[in-house]
Amino acid sequence: MKALEAQGLQTYYGKSHILDSVTLEVGEGEVVALLGRNGAGKTTTLRSIVGLTPPRLGSVRIFGEAVTGWPPYRIAALGVGYVPEGRRIFGNLTLDENLLVPVARPGPWTIERVYQLFPRLSERRENKGRQLSGGEQEMLAIARALLLNPRLLLLDEPSQGLAPLIVQDVFKIIGAMRAEGISVLLVEQNVRAAVAVADRAYVLDDGRIVYEGAAAALGADEARVRTLAGASAEKWEAVD
Amino acid sequence: MTQLIFNLFNGVIIGAFYALMALGLSLILNLSGVINFAHGGFLALGAYLAYSLMPHIGFWGALVAAPLLTGLLGIAIEWLLIRRTYGRDPLYSLLLTFGLAFIFEDVSRYIWGAQSVPYQIPALLSRPLSLSYFFITGYRVFMVALVALAVAALYLLLTRTRIGIRIRAGTHDLATVATLGVNVRLLRSVNFGLGVYLAGLAGVLAAGQLGLQPTIGTSLIMPSFVAIIVGGLGSLPGTLLGGILIGVASGITSVYFASATEAVIYVMMALVLLVRPRGLLGEEGRLQ
Repeated sequence: MKALEAQGLQTYYGKSHILDSVTLEVGEGEVVALLGRNGAGKTTTLRSIVGLTPPRLGSVRIFGEAVTGWPPYRIAALGVGYVPEGRRIFGNLTLDENLLVPVARPGPWTIERVYQLFPRLSERRENKGRQLSGGEQEMLAIARALLLNPRLLLLDEPSQGLAPLIVQDVFKIIGAMRAEGISVLLVEQNVRAAVAVADRAYVLDDGRIVYEGAAAALGADEARVRTLAGASAEKWEAVD
Repeated sequence: MTQLIFNLFNGVIIGAFYALMALGLSLILNLSGVINFAHGGFLALGAYLAYSLMPHIGFWGALVAAPLLTGLLGIAIEWLLIRRTYGRDPLYSLLLTFGLAFIFEDVSRYIWGAQSVPYQIPALLSRPLSLSYFFITGYRVFMVALVALAVAALYLLLTRTRIGIRIRAGTHDLATVATLGVNVRLLRSVNFGLGVYLAGLAGVLAAGQLGLQPTIGTSLIMPSFVAIIVGGLGSLPGTLLGGILIGVASGITSVYFASATEAVIYVMMALVLLVRPRGLLGEEGRLQ
């Protein structure tokens, strides 16, 4: 059984056609990267999967369950954790309160355990979400999704706008998720880091899947990585 | 001097009603984006339900039951009608709730008549507490205390319970709350019921002070909108502050310039908006 199977997604924002027959899958325990330039439709793909922007055509199956057209809360209840672009933490709530929003599913992840995973957060429990740094907000967004005890985790540009050291932390956490047996679909601008952690990769361009294959093969294709990553390829090299 | 204290005290009472109304309006506006013009209708309904229940279960029973019934009716109306306007042009919910307000008023008139009905408060509460300040009756003190209690309970609900925390989170970003497994359709219904419950409670209390006729809600709803704007959209503490401020302002104005008693709240709103467009405690950018 696959963690995620998306078949021929056609998604629109109003009249603009964003996704054109996007088909992708994530196997159980697999880490899959979804890459592409700005505006290629990566975020829309994730929003289509979690039910925020349901596709007009096509189907989504999650752990074998046909979830097309389901409201987001029912999809989340299957064990789908979603870390949205720009983190979208609740700035008006304290950090502790942020962690009380998710409807926790039973499993190994509890508030105690996420505070152990992110000791930085446990020092700031009483702070409002908006007072946290970008890195702390990212940790909080991941912690919040982990409380659902996800079997499938969707991450939308978790490294965006973070300092290089924090980016390394974030990718370490993604590696740890794999060790926990969580299936991951990772949207990233940071192509090199993403292909390093992923098993397989897809490349989206203008709403269509234009590449599908092993992440290592994509990582070895220097020319492709450069066109995909644009300016961010240089940035990553500078970090190393 | 006595007259100033009298009007100041009256201002606090009327401000407490505005605040209770406005808090309910604010809850609904913040989470669902609906400006509930029917809120005054729910207030009247709460008062009339209490009036009809009182002969059977007494004042205290009605005080508990009438707001609860009003809240349940609110949930039913939200489920049947109001939720269909979510995510659409705000004009739909404005028209719907505006229409509901008229329906409520006419139904009240049909059932209970256009004239004031005799609304009995317990004799225990109608006695003045002091001879020199004869206007400080037990009922007035009781009303202010009960409003304070309701506000404290609301505060605890919103900060100490998961459902309250989710309501606050939803005010900020409802879509993200949904992706965390929260049934936001249900959350909005419960929240609407909570807002309407507060209107019902305000109605039960206000009828004992202002008398009960079908238009009781109409006179309270506009100042409640003003309270929200003065206090700042998106901020419940702001709403509370706004309600009490405009109540006190109109109380004081009635001593020195009685004919401006109603106008003063709009003048206050204009001044606040000129100096601080987002309201006293409002979030930045909420109006954009």
